[in-house]
Amino acid sequence: MKISIKDKIGPRCIIKEDGQKIYDEIHGPLKRAEKVTLDFNGVSQFASPFFNFAIGQLLKDIPEADLRRLLQIENLNETGKLVVERVIENAAKYHGDKDYRKIVDDILEQQARESQ
Amino acid sequence: MFQKVIQIPTLNDGTWDFQQLFTIWNQVNDYFEDVRFDFSNCRFLRPNAVAFLGGLARLIESRLGTVVFDWGTLHNQAVMNNLRQNGFAGVFGHPSSGWDGNSIPYREDQFLDMNGIMDYLTYNWIGKGWVHVSARLRDAIVGRMWEIYNNAFEHSGTQIGVFSCGQHFWRQNDLILSVVDFGQGIPAKVRGFLRQHAEETLVAKLTGASCLRWAFQAGNTTKVGEPGGSGLDLLKEFIRINHGKMEVYSNEGYAIIDKDGERYENRDISFEGTVVHITLRCDENLYRFSDEAEPLF
Repeated sequence: MKISIKDKIGPRCIIKEDGQKIYDEIHGPLKRAEKVTLDFNGVSQFASPFFNFAIGQLLKDIPEADLRRLLQIENLNETGKLVVERVIENAAKYHGDKDYRKIVDDILEQQARESQ
Repeated sequence: MFQKVIQIPTLNDGTWDFQQLFTIWNQVNDYFEDVRFDFSNCRFLRPNAVAFLGGLARLIESRLGTVVFDWGTLHNQAVMNNLRQNGFAGVFGHPSSGWDGNSIPYREDQFLDMNGIMDYLTYNWIGKGWVHVSARLRDAIVGRMWEIYNNAFEHSGTQIGVFSCGQHFWRQNDLILSVVDFGQGIPAKVRGFLRQHAEETLVAKLTGASCLRWAFQAGNTTKVGEPGGSGLDLLKEFIRINHGKMEVYSNEGYAIIDKDGERYENRDISFEGTVVHITLRCDENLYRFSDEAEPLF
């Protein structure tokens, strides 16, 4: 399966609604272990919400190694690649369990240190 | 009808200037306020003040008050010209419309208008020819700046939208963008989120500075059920590479990100909302892709 992002979304991959459209199209095939190619030829502007929804969400139920093997990304420029990598990195953190009680304790500890 | 007269002083973009803006917000932060802004003492008005005052006027109106910008009191010709040029004066009752120049138009967004905001950033902000960058690099920078608007709409809960203004200063060769919302503020949002997971008494102790620091760390997000936490991180990284500066005033918290790192402080004067004030250096040598020339963007 190959999707031309420019044909589907346009030259700007910015908002989460557009990212969701791509996710809806590729999630099923990727879950079935089919290869998917996203072609970014003609796309020039990128922001993180698009990739959070198009790709970051996939990590909820597809392991990162499988995703990297099955999902091919073509013609994505350097800026876009940087955003994708950051989104994948943060999505992995997001989908892990967080101990917010400990987070609050840590923040308060740092506050106390700084006020000394 | 009792009309409050608020003096607008000369406003730059330092700590004192932001304190003046938040003090003004405190003076009119109620329902049914009728306000007249007087410019008799104003000799200079930076874009942060323009965006803030525009948003404040809409906030007052949304609370069933009235606002008059008393253009007859604005005797400083340079300030008047700037406010006419960037369209602010025309929006608020002056019989003039904006024109092209050093000013970047004053802008109001009631909703997250992707193409409108991206066009503004691409063609009116960076794309006016004062920063000599390739189209590819221009697009990269604009994508980072868009994260500010996205954050304002996604997180602040603003009822009246987002307000922005910018300017290019030839002498310093700085490009400025200020984005203002009068939503709940980042510390309030972070506390509200953490309160769902930890005891209220502990969360209440979190300072504005601590909340901002948490929000600015990669991977931290207050969104539930969707990944996030990359936008501010990407923006911070860009600001550092550019040797630029990003300042954020939100509730009582203050953050500054520049080439020396990031610092978080608590301020005496608080306001409900967030100001993101960015200064980029228009030095083309700072902006390059690895395959164009060094250094790396």
